[in-house]
Amino acid sequence: MSPPPPAARRTRPPAGGRVFGALNVLGVYGLVGGLFALGCAISREFISPDNLMNALRAVTLLGIVAVGLAFVTYSRHYVDLSIPGIMALSGTVAVWALKFGFVPSLAIGLAVGALVGLVNGLVIGYLRLNPIIWTLAMMSLLSGVIRWAYAGRQIYPDKATAAGRAFLELYHHRLLGLLPLPVAVLLAVAAGGYFLMRHTGYGARLKLTGSAYEVARLTGINVRRAVAGAFVISSLTSAAAGVLLTSFNKVGAVYIGGGYDFRTITAVVLGGMTLAGGRGSIVGVLGGVAAIALMNNVMSLVRVGQFVLGDFQQNIVQGAVFILVVGINSFARRRTGGDDA
Amino acid sequence: MTPSAPAPTRAAARPPGRARPFAKAAAAAYRYRVYLLCTIIFAVMGAAAPHFLTPGNFSNVLKGTSTNLPAAVGFTIVLIAGQLDLSVGSAMTMGGILVMGLSPSLGWAGAFGVAVLCGLGLGLTNGLLVAKARINSFIVTLGTMIIVYNAMAIYCRGGTIPATTFALSDFLQRPVVDLDPRGAPPALLWLTLWLTPRNLVSLAVMAAAAVFLRRTPAGRGLHLMGGNPQAAWYSGLHVDRYVIGAFALSGLLAAVGGAVVAAGEAAGSLKLGENSLMTIVAAVIIGGTSMEGGKGTVVGTTVALVALTALINGLSCLGAGHEVQLVASGLVLALIILYDAYWLHRRQRRRGQRKDLLEELQARAASDPPAGRGSQGAPSAPGPGREGRSHG
Repeated sequence: MSPPPPAARRTRPPAGGRVFGALNVLGVYGLVGGLFALGCAISREFISPDNLMNALRAVTLLGIVAVGLAFVTYSRHYVDLSIPGIMALSGTVAVWALKFGFVPSLAIGLAVGALVGLVNGLVIGYLRLNPIIWTLAMMSLLSGVIRWAYAGRQIYPDKATAAGRAFLELYHHRLLGLLPLPVAVLLAVAAGGYFLMRHTGYGARLKLTGSAYEVARLTGINVRRAVAGAFVISSLTSAAAGVLLTSFNKVGAVYIGGGYDFRTITAVVLGGMTLAGGRGSIVGVLGGVAAIALMNNVMSLVRVGQFVLGDFQQNIVQGAVFILVVGINSFARRRTGGDDA
Repeated sequence: MTPSAPAPTRAAARPPGRARPFAKAAAAAYRYRVYLLCTIIFAVMGAAAPHFLTPGNFSNVLKGTSTNLPAAVGFTIVLIAGQLDLSVGSAMTMGGILVMGLSPSLGWAGAFGVAVLCGLGLGLTNGLLVAKARINSFIVTLGTMIIVYNAMAIYCRGGTIPATTFALSDFLQRPVVDLDPRGAPPALLWLTLWLTPRNLVSLAVMAAAAVFLRRTPAGRGLHLMGGNPQAAWYSGLHVDRYVIGAFALSGLLAAVGGAVVAAGEAAGSLKLGENSLMTIVAAVIIGGTSMEGGKGTVVGTTVALVALTALINGLSCLGAGHEVQLVASGLVLALIILYDAYWLHRRQRRRGQRKDLLEELQARAASDPPAGRGSQGAPSAPGPGREGRSHG
């Protein structure tokens, strides 16, 4: 997009390189720390365990989805806009499948989500369609199909059966009576994602595919499969989050997961994953999710006399911070010579 | 098998001379796919849906098209420049709400002026952030989309702003030429029914943009810049200015479109641009504009928008609900881009093949008896590299 930098710009030692280098290393955790300090300064309530737990719970599902989407962004395929559709579909199908029992219903829900991801992966990875456009079409198809299948009715898990009760209990279940299940899922997904991205051959192949597609292909990497895999991973985490969200809402409906497409990409990019691909880490993405959680929490605590920040104002601040942070990030990366774009 | 024998391929298996009987037709079908799609939709809907091919319904289709057309034109321009503008829907909402909110105090002209200026400001902001701060346009416009939508939600307090007078709305919706429906010839009646000021504004925007993109140096520079920014930079174009200009146009046009729609409907609400982004993206892509930049036409966008609107309108004539419309428009978009990808894939497979070589190969394959192939030691021609670039 940008013009090639003149040679002079290349050779000049970067001004403020050390500062921006530190920024790069700290990444989004600088923002998290800043928000934390701000929260402590603004209100006493902020550091109470209850409040922090609430802040965390509000973004648990977002975190689960973000870890999966990170693989798509890592492979330089921007975003999976069909995430809300996958979430709604897997949740609705899981509720429908409760008649087969509790565990089969979860498995079917995840499998349906993965199937959509597989179609996405095959079309985008193998046929090389533009990811934004294809997943947009997929989103439209999915939301239409769900509405069609249930004719606008919402479907509820049947409380009379054991499976239905177990499904409704799912979101509120605590492992060992302590750790909420969604948080446990987030931890597991994040750990798995971290391991897959950093310590496996697949992660390495995906990194090269994302950084330089053509080079990766000429190296002999099966780039198509790597990209397809990223979409399957993204759809799996979306399906898991969709099932949990359906359990939380106690209803399978088409609007479940609405807004998760843009919210997740915000978290992923805020966490230092660049749209140029092949950069960033799962740890950073979790930082992005934490930053969003703290930002919302701190803003909800702001009270100046009668003035309270409403949802709309919070969204505006969030949007502005998003642009600002990504701008600073990419500026810092250019200054330290890491990147042109 | 000796290297001299080319592998039997489908092309080689055909008798020479009649290599691809439908090649020309297929190429033409690909080239004019938007028009083909539009024709098919009109034919199918006209045959299946009652009341679809009536003047009144056709003016409905045009009204629906003109709603999104200015913003779609702006989106096309940004895509040609090689960028993405997700904020067009929010810009439409902003134009509509500002016009409705300000018209009691500023009058219509003043309100329109402010709304359009705000659209221009939004576009300039997007452009500056993309070109000067070098932030990815996906991120910038995603952020401004959220900011503008929420700012408008605060401004109108989450509700709808109704118009205080309906004079302007009546004017915008009524045909420019009023004909007596009994005396006039039907063809003329059809025509005048569509010529409402609201449609004319969109039509004028479309025509101006088409001329600008095709006939002016700036328009051609935009294509060059979008297709290959480095080449454009080397040939002395101010790349940054083109990017900023494209975004500014997009914001401006979207605000104009939103303002006209709100004035026509006599109400501005947050819902105005809600589904526009999806429709616009679908129409622009179906219309043949490339996500890679440097390629696209405003006319294609317009025809695709007419086709999509007609599809949805026809489905509702048939009594189909919202869900069928969603599936249908998703399906059309998916099919068109799959077709696109298939065509590109075929062309890339054949890229680098020389026509004369191919014909020679075909002639040889036809004259060689299949059993004796490889043993006659024909002078080896390098294979046409069919497997060369199957993807990427």
